[in-house]
Amino acid sequence: MKAATFDYVRPASVDEVCRLLADAGEMERKIIAGGQTLVPLMAMRMSRPDMLIDINDVNGLSEIEDKGDHLVIGGCTRQRALERSEIISKRLPLLAKAIRKVGHIQTRNRGTIGGSIVHGDPTAEISMAALALEASVLLRSVSEEKEVPLDGFFEAAMVTNIEPDQILTEVRIPVWEGASIGTGFYETASRESDYAIVSAMAQIELAADGTIVKAAVSAGGVAPCPLKLRGVELALKGSKPAELSSALDGLDEEIDPDTDVHATAGYRSRVARRLITRAIEDAVSEAKNERD
Amino acid sequence: MKEIEVTLTVNKRVHTVNVAPRMTLVDCLRDILRLTGTHVGCEHGVCGACSVMFDGEPVRSCLMFAVQAEGHEITTVEGLVGEDGEISDLQDSFWECHAMQCGYCTPGMLISSHALLMENPSPDDHDIREAISGNLCRCTGYQQIVEAVKMAAERRQEGL
Amino acid sequence: MKYQKIGQPVRRREDARLLKGQGRFSDDWSVDGQTYMAVVRSTYAHAFILGIDVEVARSMPGVLTILTGDDARLDNLAPIPHSPLPSTKHDMKLEGPNGSEVFIGDHTLLPTDKVRYVGEAIAIVVAETLAQAEDAAEVVSVNYDPLPAVTDTAKAAENGAPTIWDEVPDNICVETFFGDKERTDAAFAAAQDVVEMDIVIDRVTGVPMEPRAALGDYNLDTGRYTIYAGSGGSVRQKREIAEVLGVEGDTVRVVSKDVGGNFGTRNRLYVEFPLVGWASRKIGRPVKWTCDRGESFLSDYQGRDLVTRVSLALDDAGQFLAMRADNLSNVGSRMVSLSPLSKGSGLITGSYDIPVAYLRSRAVFSNTAPTNAYRSSGRPEVTFAIERLVETAAAELGYDPIELRRKNLVSSEQMPYPNAVGMTYDSGEYAKSMDMCMDLADWRGFETRKKEAESRGMLLGRGFANYVESSIGTPREQAEIHVRADGHIDLVIGTQPSGQGHETSFAQVAAEWLGVPVNTISVIVGDTDLVKVGGGSHSGRSMRMAGTVIVKAADELIEKSKKLAAVVLEAAETDLEFHDGKFQVVGTDREISLYALAEVVGRRSDLPEKLSVIEDNVMETPVFPNGCHICEIEIDPVSGAYKIARYTTVDDVGRAINPLIVDGQTHGGIVQGAGEALGELCAMDPESGQPLAGSFMDYHMPRADEYPSFKTELNEVPSPTNPLGVKAGGEGGTTPALAVLVNGFVDALRPFGVRDIQMPVTPRKVWELIKAGS
Repeated sequence: MKAATFDYVRPASVDEVCRLLADAGEMERKIIAGGQTLVPLMAMRMSRPDMLIDINDVNGLSEIEDKGDHLVIGGCTRQRALERSEIISKRLPLLAKAIRKVGHIQTRNRGTIGGSIVHGDPTAEISMAALALEASVLLRSVSEEKEVPLDGFFEAAMVTNIEPDQILTEVRIPVWEGASIGTGFYETASRESDYAIVSAMAQIELAADGTIVKAAVSAGGVAPCPLKLRGVELALKGSKPAELSSALDGLDEEIDPDTDVHATAGYRSRVARRLITRAIEDAVSEAKNERD
Repeated sequence: MKEIEVTLTVNKRVHTVNVAPRMTLVDCLRDILRLTGTHVGCEHGVCGACSVMFDGEPVRSCLMFAVQAEGHEITTVEGLVGEDGEISDLQDSFWECHAMQCGYCTPGMLISSHALLMENPSPDDHDIREAISGNLCRCTGYQQIVEAVKMAAERRQEGL
Repeated sequence: MKYQKIGQPVRRREDARLLKGQGRFSDDWSVDGQTYMAVVRSTYAHAFILGIDVEVARSMPGVLTILTGDDARLDNLAPIPHSPLPSTKHDMKLEGPNGSEVFIGDHTLLPTDKVRYVGEAIAIVVAETLAQAEDAAEVVSVNYDPLPAVTDTAKAAENGAPTIWDEVPDNICVETFFGDKERTDAAFAAAQDVVEMDIVIDRVTGVPMEPRAALGDYNLDTGRYTIYAGSGGSVRQKREIAEVLGVEGDTVRVVSKDVGGNFGTRNRLYVEFPLVGWASRKIGRPVKWTCDRGESFLSDYQGRDLVTRVSLALDDAGQFLAMRADNLSNVGSRMVSLSPLSKGSGLITGSYDIPVAYLRSRAVFSNTAPTNAYRSSGRPEVTFAIERLVETAAAELGYDPIELRRKNLVSSEQMPYPNAVGMTYDSGEYAKSMDMCMDLADWRGFETRKKEAESRGMLLGRGFANYVESSIGTPREQAEIHVRADGHIDLVIGTQPSGQGHETSFAQVAAEWLGVPVNTISVIVGDTDLVKVGGGSHSGRSMRMAGTVIVKAADELIEKSKKLAAVVLEAAETDLEFHDGKFQVVGTDREISLYALAEVVGRRSDLPEKLSVIEDNVMETPVFPNGCHICEIEIDPVSGAYKIARYTTVDDVGRAINPLIVDGQTHGGIVQGAGEALGELCAMDPESGQPLAGSFMDYHMPRADEYPSFKTELNEVPSPTNPLGVKAGGEGGTTPALAVLVNGFVDALRPFGVRDIQMPVTPRKVWELIKAGS
């Protein structure tokens, strides 16, 4: 179908975007960046905004900057740019690993990091990686600019804590500096390029003696939104890789899988356990290789 | 709804068109510019039949509005043909390998394969299948498309 | 006979335009002043229509007209004259319960009484732009009185199911018995073993990549309708559109050039095609309609949907004694075609020599989209049933599945072989194809590969299936050959390619016979002003029907030209020899080419004839393509995720005219069958009858990254039924694919106590079976 009718504006600055959002009144005004999620919804007339605010011409929204202990990624940075970025592959190996699994090349060429995060898909790879690494997002409106941690940002499937008058301008992702860091990522879908049914990610840092000093673990498809597995992380910290299996003892308390058309709750939790284990194992072995 | 004037470059030619904001890029290409080589297979961004090069990168033209193409460069399947009207080496490999049956997905397949070869001059089967996994084909079972892309890559490597 | 052009992998002529984006698909047609049509569709699976309020919609911007079923009735539009009952000489004939006439029911363009499925057209809106038409269609308000609905095949046939048509209170519209009941019963009574299975082959849809589209242009001055619309055959479309519109046949011209896939879905007429013609006449401007993907999931004629109970009787040595089948086919809400039920009925015994069989074939109405022939209509269903049954018999009775098959295979010596339900297989080397395929698949290496997979924690399963399918189809075809003085030959034919490469393979045949280069022959199809007669493309008929009539026409052309050449060359006919496209006086250098002859004949008033022939051919005898497929599937027991590791085929397509094209048909056919086995499903909510698969996000289309490259070979056994020895190559990929893959999964999962898996086999299903059996 053709989209329902709407007005279109292409502001040049974030201020202007904020003003347009603030002035919406009863109207629904939506930001379009890559449009890879929004436009299909509009084409099915499941979304019918009165105005589209195109932020593709807003300056300064698509840079990747290394700030030492974290990277700042502009909200309108294309997923394909992340995939090709040397900074990302060096400094955020988990995101680098995940990004190739996002959609297809054609959609990554338009789709943005901000669009993926504000959208809140329960298994979105970008959100999972950012969440695992304790990223935050910068939200701006006419009245304020605030940094919001991603932990707590995802509220339910396809629902995130962004207000209708806010624009996501930046994603800030902490960088791990250690010498022996490894990552692991698994997902299961009906097939490779589909939306994942269950997914798991891990980033691990090992001490010289092989002890896990830092662990970031997240899972998708096991709760209404991407989940950071703090209990698993805590159990991993200070342990030896050999003690891996007990780290997942408390997993069932952390996850809250649902049954839907793709999978049952039982399937999700059993498969998640195995995928999380594999992701951690991969991360550990990669970290060992880094060290050796 | 008020129409908006848009200037865009398609296959190296500059066009100025008036479009309603809700007109997708693919509808603009097909219905206004009459470049009917780019096809519409789903209008929800899955089938890839509408793939075009947008500023040198493959995108789905059903997932963009024409107004968003202001000032941008687009290459459609018609633009893969040389200025002398000769088909490209990739198109020739598609021909030789019988990489199409009904031909409806072919323009999108060509665009995706063209983009792949620009980035990866010697792809293996897995790379090719991944690169065209966002393009649905109901006729070929994909095998002869994979063979065609590989043939084009090999011939380029050999400098043929 | 040694052919020069037939059998060569000639590059396709049609590709020259398709590669450049210069194809002409239905939506590519545009005419000045065209308007756009949107269709208002039922949101209920079953409901009375109490009223349709179009007032608000009528006042929307750009709206030109809104038409409903009442308007259509006032204009005397007739229902679509589908002929759902297969009626050629060798088709299995179907009848209503107790020998009654089959109730077909009107396929009204826009019903006024009640809607019978979600997506049924009930009104049309025509506006200046498509978006405006869709805006207005959204606000057309239909007042429904909902009725209970039934979509499930078995449930629709149960007592007390909601009635779709008052004329058929129990929904059972066909009940026919085939075979020999007494002897079958006796064989079962005497059997050592009986194996029985209940099989469900669910609803899928064809999904050609080009959505349906039609542009209707009514000419006020001539009173003629031109309908630009791709289909499976323009001649039929023209005849039926004219009948619906109530006009003489030649008042309608149907034009179809490139068609973006068919697979059976486009063979029968859809309501939208006459609707654009009618609407164009009403508003005096051309009207274009293009189906969007969501609409096509609702309103394309769908496929498969067969429930069957099959049983096999064996003696103590594993010899098959008899078979029973009870087939129930879901025709949907309106009867468009019974081809799947009929086709399948003739092939229940598959590739095996089963002396007696007894079959009940029934069809049932339901609140779903109508079903139609879908790639290899009816054959994948019954191949699935027999090959699953044989595999299960082997497993449960302790036979080696290959040896059990070999023991019971129809042998080459038995050809032509009459099967137990009345079909006569023309030719084939079933055992040889099995051997070839097992070699090609490295059958012996499987155990090593399995161990290797197990060492990685993976399961490896192997699937096997033989198949035989039938190609019957409309028996009449016509070819016209016109030699032009400019060095070209026009070949006019009434089939309709949708990717099968007729412009090339037909040209190869004509070029072979006429001794001219392939690229001098232009194949003309699809425009009913040029093509007057033709059966379209379905049922694997095209190459065989067209090839035969082309050969006949070419012989006739040579015959006719010879007389003219004799006059021009001033020689006796008996002294003329035809070779390489020219006539030569034997033993001299005096010669004249067909083209030169055409030029002379056109010029000389004493030779009034043109170098043209029109030949008709009627060929009733069916052919039976066959073969063997083998696959290996690797399963990750942790998640149930799997990949097809190998897929190998040997197919007997009869003579292959263009092996490049045949290979492509095989590859595509495999994936189309695999799609159904692995993921495709027209899921429906059983209570409301709402379709749950309405886009590519919820209908699992096969993609490139799911499949390996296949190994395919041919075992060409020319059919004795036609001069070229052609069978058919379009359906063989699909026919056994469902059985092969499910056999592979069951093989891998048998250690977990798995006897059967209903398609589609999703990772979750695999995982649950593993979990249940661990």
